[in-house]
Amino acid sequence: MRFLRTQALATGAVLALVLSACGDDTAKEDAGPSVEVKDDTQFPEGSTMAKLADAGKVTIGVKVDQPGLGFLEPGAEAPEGFDIEMARIVAGALGIEDDGSIEWKETISDNREPFLEGGKVDLVFASYSITDERRQVVGQAGPYYVTGQQLLVREEDKEKITGPDDLKGVKVCSVEGSTSLATVQDEYGASPSPRGTYSECVEELKQKTVDVVTTDGSILLGYAAEAPDELEVVGKPFSEERYGVGYELGDTELCQFISDTLKASMEDGTWAEAFEATLGKSGVETPEPPALDECL
Amino acid sequence: MQVLIDNFGLILDGFVKTLWLLLFAGLIALVLGTLLVALRVSPVAVMRAVGTSYINVVRNTPLLLIVYLFGALFPVLGYTASISSYIDYSFITATIALGMYAAAFVCEALRAGINSIPVGQAEAARSLGMTFGQSMSTVILPQAFRAAIPPLASTYIALAKNTSVALAIGVTEAAFAMKKLNNEYATGRSWIFFGFAVGYILIVWAIAAFAHGLERQAGKAR
Amino acid sequence: MSDVQTRDSPDRTDSNLVSLRQVDKWFGDLHVLQDINLDIARGEVVVVIGPSGSGKSTLCRTINRLEPIDKGEITLDGQPLPQEGKELARLRAEVGMVFQSFNLFAHKTVLDNVMLGPTKVRKRGASEVKQQAMQLLERVGVEAQANKYPAQLSGGQQQRVAIARALAMQPKVMLFDEPTSALDPEMIAEVLDVMVGLARDGMTMVVVTHEMGFARTAANRVIFMDEGKIVEEETPEEFFTNPKSDRAKDFLGKILKH
Repeated sequence: MRFLRTQALATGAVLALVLSACGDDTAKEDAGPSVEVKDDTQFPEGSTMAKLADAGKVTIGVKVDQPGLGFLEPGAEAPEGFDIEMARIVAGALGIEDDGSIEWKETISDNREPFLEGGKVDLVFASYSITDERRQVVGQAGPYYVTGQQLLVREEDKEKITGPDDLKGVKVCSVEGSTSLATVQDEYGASPSPRGTYSECVEELKQKTVDVVTTDGSILLGYAAEAPDELEVVGKPFSEERYGVGYELGDTELCQFISDTLKASMEDGTWAEAFEATLGKSGVETPEPPALDECL
Repeated sequence: MQVLIDNFGLILDGFVKTLWLLLFAGLIALVLGTLLVALRVSPVAVMRAVGTSYINVVRNTPLLLIVYLFGALFPVLGYTASISSYIDYSFITATIALGMYAAAFVCEALRAGINSIPVGQAEAARSLGMTFGQSMSTVILPQAFRAAIPPLASTYIALAKNTSVALAIGVTEAAFAMKKLNNEYATGRSWIFFGFAVGYILIVWAIAAFAHGLERQAGKAR
Repeated sequence: MSDVQTRDSPDRTDSNLVSLRQVDKWFGDLHVLQDINLDIARGEVVVVIGPSGSGKSTLCRTINRLEPIDKGEITLDGQPLPQEGKELARLRAEVGMVFQSFNLFAHKTVLDNVMLGPTKVRKRGASEVKQQAMQLLERVGVEAQANKYPAQLSGGQQQRVAIARALAMQPKVMLFDEPTSALDPEMIAEVLDVMVGLARDGMTMVVVTHEMGFARTAANRVIFMDEGKIVEEETPEEFFTNPKSDRAKDFLGKILKH
């Protein structure tokens, strides 16, 4: 607990620095590390990579309401976050630069599969947990990040609620239709209180109309950092969420290409740079990159 | 299909909560709507103005906005009470918001009913020495309810479907169950949508059948 | 009816039941009642006739304030008509009204129509009221229809029920606003018979009608209205045999021609 508290304070300080840097025009360049854009791409004829590279355009489904992962500031043109950085790395490997050639399309939990199946997006980087169920309808390359579900509580409740076993009958808020909410409801007997966004959940937590907010720890840390005297992240992660890259089912060539690109970024340090520039800002130590699944 | 069978309990729980929302909000709407229509046709100008203002404000505001407004307003006013973990703060708030919203439409359905009652009925009641309240409660409203059954049925059908808006402030009704299943079963989406559509259709069908029965009952008395 | 009086000698000076003083009413620009002065004595039967649009129906409806007036004063048994409210409702209970279109309560049985006033307004016990209601239905000859709904009755039957409904309140005066105008010809007589009976029993009545036969047999006085004014006020014999004004002559000429 003490450790997390210190982290939260540190995050606050970092956030303050970031916010102060946001006023001027250079802010956008600070937002992420430079991504290598290849200009000598060679892809097998007829492959999806060749098609995208020839078109010079790619449409990527992302979330816009998850701080640190995929978040669109009100008024900003492009979203920011770790998902976004990873997407830029993959697009760069296709020879596509984030200068308007990447179309960021907002996806919500409900429409990620339909968007991939209907060809409305080419790739999905949207805190998209890999599951066997999903892999029956879409392809999921990766994981490029592994996180775990944690709990955010009010400061005065931190002794009372210390882990998922304390959730029985407790009002727990998360985004409607999210895996996190289903987990606490189905496995820990929590009373689910769904909302549209995490910010709404945090607001309800402060208003005391719910008692816990749950989702991936990295997101919760960001909120705790904004109100260090009021909110606290408690307990160890109690689930494993493996974020994958969504693509159209059966495109093994594309999967292999994404895996290779992810692997290269993990080896040459761009993965770590991307993490530090986004999720790392909330004070989390940069973890070891996860091992990738085989493309089948 | 399997997804519906495996999760029948969850789906049923969702629809049961939807029905509770419909029942409580429907009762609030009926009582408040009746009071509003009494204001709307009152001989006192100030009362008419109050009734008309309510209708204009509520009917021209999107339901989602009203639900959010109540969800945000009550905690600020210090009201976050729950009756039980089932009838919790979200449920109460959503019920009040839905009821107040539907009341505007109930009022207008009743007003259409009242307008369809010949003016002679009210004159006859008044000429017997009935007060405004007596003539409304014993002569006009009972007949207006009959004439208003079809538009009231439409209002209640709309309310049944509108209960899904309660999800926005955390009520775990049918739409919540649907979202939950959608997230967990990427392969069964068509069946999930189909199953929930059938659930709502059954509710709507029950309302229509009830209204039809009432109409026949009323028809006998003529 | 409680107070049976001899209708041959109504006392018009001392006990005016209804009194209109300098009454004016406008519908927008239309001056429908112009300086109306009228006294109706206890037990008197007054028939109001006149061409359509003459204001006769409006006059009738001002007496229980279904139509409010703009100027002047109306008193009922010495009391001025109050504003809309409980006090007015109490006064209206003393005034029976029969409408052209019957206006029976469509959702109530015939018996309930007759019982509604005494039970709701007078708060009298249901069993006693029911007994009295059945007597009234018998008196107007529709006791066999007591448990039917108004829509199941003929127009003549409905109007007789409407009369019974008004009588159930034991009113001091009965207003009839063209009670036979909406009836098929073969049903007019059954309603007029009831009204003649009432007049014989001494009921104070104001009757707006085109039925000259009724006026001749039952009225103490005929009032002829035209363009919002009372043009003539006479005994029936005098009015029908010797009308004074040209307009009355003209009117009578038209309606008695056939």
